[in-house]
Amino acid sequence: MSGRTPWPLLPFVAVVYLGLLAPLVVVIAVSFGPSAAFAFPPTGLTLRWFEAFFNSKPFVTSFFRVSLVVGLLAAVLATTLGTAAAIGLVRFRFTGREAFETFFLMPLLVPEILVGAALYLFYARLAIHASVLTLLWSHLIICTPYVIRSVTAGLVGMDPRLEEAAKSLGATPLQAFFKVTFPLLRSSLLSGAIFAFIISFSDINLALFLSGPESTSLPVHLFSQIQWEGDPTIAAASSLQIVIIGALILLVQRIFRLRLMV
Amino acid sequence: MPAGVELDVRGLTKRYSSQVSVGPISFEVREGEFFSLLGPSGCGKTTTLRCIAGFETLSAGSISLRGVRLDDRPPHRRDVGLVFQNYALFPHLDVFDNVAFGLRLRRVPTVQTRERVGRMLELVGLPEMAGRFPSQLSGGQQQRIAIARSLVLEPRILMFDEPLSNLDFKLRIQMRDELRRLQRRLGKTSIYVTHDQTEALALSDRIVVLSHGKIEQIGTPAEIYERPATAFVADFIGSSNLLQARIVERNERGTVIETQGGLRLYCAGGAVDSAGGDISVLLRPERIRVAVAGPAEEGEPNRFPARIAEITYLGEDLHLNLELAGGQSLRAALKNSIAAAGLAPAQQVHIVVDPDDIRLLHT
Amino acid sequence: MRGSGQRMGPPQPSSAPSLTLPRFRGREGWGRRPLWAILVGPYALYLLVLLIVPFANVALFSVHAYSPTKVVLPELTFANYLKIFDPYYARLFGRTLRLGLVTTAICAVLGYPLAYFLARARPRVLALGLFLLIMPLMVSTVIRVFGWIVILGRKGMVNQALVAVGLEPVKLLYTETAVVIGLVNIFMPFMVLPLMASIERIPPSLEEAAQNLGASWPQMFLRTIMPLSLPGLISGCLLVYSVSISAFVTPALMGSPRERMVGQQIYDEVLVSFNWPSAASLAITLVLFTLLLLFAALRVTRRAGRLEIRQ
Repeated sequence: MSGRTPWPLLPFVAVVYLGLLAPLVVVIAVSFGPSAAFAFPPTGLTLRWFEAFFNSKPFVTSFFRVSLVVGLLAAVLATTLGTAAAIGLVRFRFTGREAFETFFLMPLLVPEILVGAALYLFYARLAIHASVLTLLWSHLIICTPYVIRSVTAGLVGMDPRLEEAAKSLGATPLQAFFKVTFPLLRSSLLSGAIFAFIISFSDINLALFLSGPESTSLPVHLFSQIQWEGDPTIAAASSLQIVIIGALILLVQRIFRLRLMV
Repeated sequence: MPAGVELDVRGLTKRYSSQVSVGPISFEVREGEFFSLLGPSGCGKTTTLRCIAGFETLSAGSISLRGVRLDDRPPHRRDVGLVFQNYALFPHLDVFDNVAFGLRLRRVPTVQTRERVGRMLELVGLPEMAGRFPSQLSGGQQQRIAIARSLVLEPRILMFDEPLSNLDFKLRIQMRDELRRLQRRLGKTSIYVTHDQTEALALSDRIVVLSHGKIEQIGTPAEIYERPATAFVADFIGSSNLLQARIVERNERGTVIETQGGLRLYCAGGAVDSAGGDISVLLRPERIRVAVAGPAEEGEPNRFPARIAEITYLGEDLHLNLELAGGQSLRAALKNSIAAAGLAPAQQVHIVVDPDDIRLLHT
Repeated sequence: MRGSGQRMGPPQPSSAPSLTLPRFRGREGWGRRPLWAILVGPYALYLLVLLIVPFANVALFSVHAYSPTKVVLPELTFANYLKIFDPYYARLFGRTLRLGLVTTAICAVLGYPLAYFLARARPRVLALGLFLLIMPLMVSTVIRVFGWIVILGRKGMVNQALVAVGLEPVKLLYTETAVVIGLVNIFMPFMVLPLMASIERIPPSLEEAAQNLGASWPQMFLRTIMPLSLPGLISGCLLVYSVSISAFVTPALMGSPRERMVGQQIYDEVLVSFNWPSAASLAITLVLFTLLLLFAALRVTRRAGRLEIRQ
C-alpha cells in the first residue's frame, strides 16, 4: 500500500470479515455437531445429520431432483440465450441498441421478490400450475443477465484485430468468428454458465412463489424447515450447498486468473 | 556536520528480498545545490527518493536533515516537498485549492494563504489559472502547478521524481530550462531523479550515478562525463567507444595500450593499475578527429588510417562507423559541416585521437 | 500503479448488480441487420412475455377491487393505492424505509474501510478478500439467515455465552435489531464493490502527495479519498437501500411478524390472504421507487468518469 496506512485498518477489516462469514462458519460447524439444539461450538464430530439428510425424502428430492436439475438446465439455456443476445448487442449496430442493453439488464434492477409475485399472479391468471418446468423458465429471467454481462465483457475486451487478421488470411466472417472469437470466449461462457447455475441453485425469492408439491427447491424446503424449527439436518443441507457454491466461485476465479470484478 | 550540508544520507539500505536490495548508499546534498540521482530503471534511484520522502522504510542506515534524523518520522511530518511523475494534482480541487492544500492543513490564515498562493502562481507563470481544474490544464501547466503546490510550503528540500518523462520532446527541453532557472533563482536545495542523462547533465550541480542499487560515481557533470570512474558510467553517460585492451608499456609520458582489435594508442593518463594489465578504454566519438587521408604530420601520436563503413545522417550531427586495420571498429561523431558533408561510405580517411582524450578504466 | 487504470486481461463479469455493460466503442460490426434480430430476438421476446407482461398484469390487478370470494372484481378503482396512506400501511412503509436507511448507514461505515483495504491490496490478498466477500453473497439467503438464527437465538451462541458467564439470556431474534444485522450482513458486498471500484480509480500517488503536503492518514482520507470516491459511495448506498427495502427472507425469518417490512406484506397478501389487488399496488409502488433509486445510481456512476484527469 502507498504511504503508511493506519494500524487499526487491518484488525477492523478482519473483524468485519469475521462478521460476514460468521453465519456460514456456524452453519458448517453445527452440521457436524451431535447436538440437536444447534449448540455451538459443537461438542463432538458426527455425520448423523448428513445421514439424516440423505435419508430424508423431501430434502433429497428438493436437492437433487429440483434444485440441481433446474440449476443445470438453467445454466445451459441461459448460456445459449445470453450468448446469442450478447453477440447481437456487441457485434452489431442497430437503432435502439442501447435501449435493448438496458432492457436486458432490467431483471437485475427489479426486486426479486416482486418478480416472483408477478410471475405467480401471471401463472394464476393463465391457470398454469407450478412445476419444475415453470421454475426452470422463470429462473431463466434472472440467470440470463449474468451470462450476457459476462460474454459482453469478454467480447468487448477482445482485440477485434484478431478477427481481422483471420480474415486477411482468408477466413469468412463466420469462420473467423468460430475459429478465433469463440474459443477466446470460452472462459466468459463458462463463468457466465457457472454464475447462472449458482443464481438458480440458491434462488429463494422466485422459488417461494413458484414452488409446488413436486417442485420444491432446496432453499424453499430449508425456509419451511427453519420456520417449523427443524433439526440440524438443515445445517447439513446448507453445508453441502455452501461447499458446492464455494467450489464453483473458486473455479470462476481460477478461470479468470485475476479476479471477479464489479 | 560541515556547514552547508542540507541532507545527509548514510548507509541507506532497502531490502525487498534476499536477492533484491538497494544500498548501502551514502551521499550528501549541499545547501542550494541541484543534485541528481541518475541511472537506468531498477537502479534504486526512485527507492532512494521514496525513502527520503518517507513512503518506504529503511532496512538499515539513516537520513538526516540538517543534523536532525528524518527517517523515524512519518511521511506527513518531513520537511521535504515531492513533485510526482504524474503530478498527482487533486482532480476535485481547482488550481488555487490544490496549491493551498498544504497551507490549509497547517491552518495558515486565509489572508496569508491567498497571498502566498498568489505569489507562487505568479512565480510559475500561471496566475490566471487559479480557478481552473487540473483536467483543463496541459501537461506542462499541470507540472508547474505541482511544483507550486510543493514550493508554497517552503520546504527545506524539493524533490522531483522523473517530472519531465511524460512530456514530449520540445516541451521537455523548455520545461527543463525553466526548472533550472527557477531553482537558480530560488536557491532551493533540489533532488532530482531521472534516467535521462542529458537532463541530469543539463540541470545538475552534482550527480550520483546508480546501478543495481549501488553508487557508481558521484561528481559534477563534467567529472562524470570527462572522467567516468567505471565502465558502467562511461557507457551510460553519453555515447562511447568502450574497448577492451591491455597495457603494453608505461613510462613517464603516459601509457601505451593495445586493444583487442589490434589498435595501439598512446594515452596521457596512466593512473590505472591493473593486475595483468587488462583495462577498459573509453573514447568519446566526438573526440575522434576525422581528417582526409594524406601524409602523416609529425607529433601526432595517434593517427590511423580508416575506412568509412557507414554514415548516419542525423541533421545536426553525422555519425560514422569506421573500420581500422586489424578489425577494430570505432564510432565517430562529427558536426554537420561543409567539410563533413563531403564524406562518403567506403572512403578512406585518417583518424586522429589526442592522448588526453583517452580514458582508462577498470573493467 | 494499480490506480492508473491499466488492467491486464479482459474486463470481468459482475456478481453484484453493476448497472452498466462495458461500452463497445464503435468498431466495425458485421452490419448484416437481420442477423441481429435472430440473436437478440429470443431473449427480448422472452423478457417481454415473462417479465413485462406479468408486470403489466400486476399493474392491472392493482387497479381492480378486491373481493374475498372472487379475489378480483371487474371494477376499476384506485382505492388500493390510497390505502397506502392508511395507518397500517403508512407504518409499514415507514418502518421499511427506516430500516433500509439504518442498514445503508451501517453498511457505509463498515464497508468504507473494507473497500479501501481491498482497493489497495496486493493481487493475492485481493483475490482472497473478494472471494470471501462474494462467496457468501452467492450462497442462498436462507442459509445465511439460518446461521444468524443459530447465533442469535434464545438458545443460540450469544445467549449460551452469556449464560455461561452467569448473565440472563437476551432476546435478540425477532427484533428490528436482528433484521438490521441480517440485512447488513447480506447486503454489505453491494456497498463494498462499487466503493472499491471507485477508490481503485484514485491513483496512490494522490494519497502520497497529500501526505507529503502534510496530511496525516485520516486527514488524507477525508480530503482526498472521500471526495473522489463519492460516486462509488452514492451508488453503493442507493444499491444497498433499494435491495434492503425489498428484502423478504431476512425479515421474514429474523423479524417479528407484527413488525413487518413491505416484502413480507406482499408475500402474505399474495399467498395467504389472496388480496391480490392490494398486493399488486404495493408491488407497483415498490418497483417504481426501486427503479427510481437505481436509475439515480446509474446517473451518478456515469458522471463519475468526468472527475478523472487526462494524463
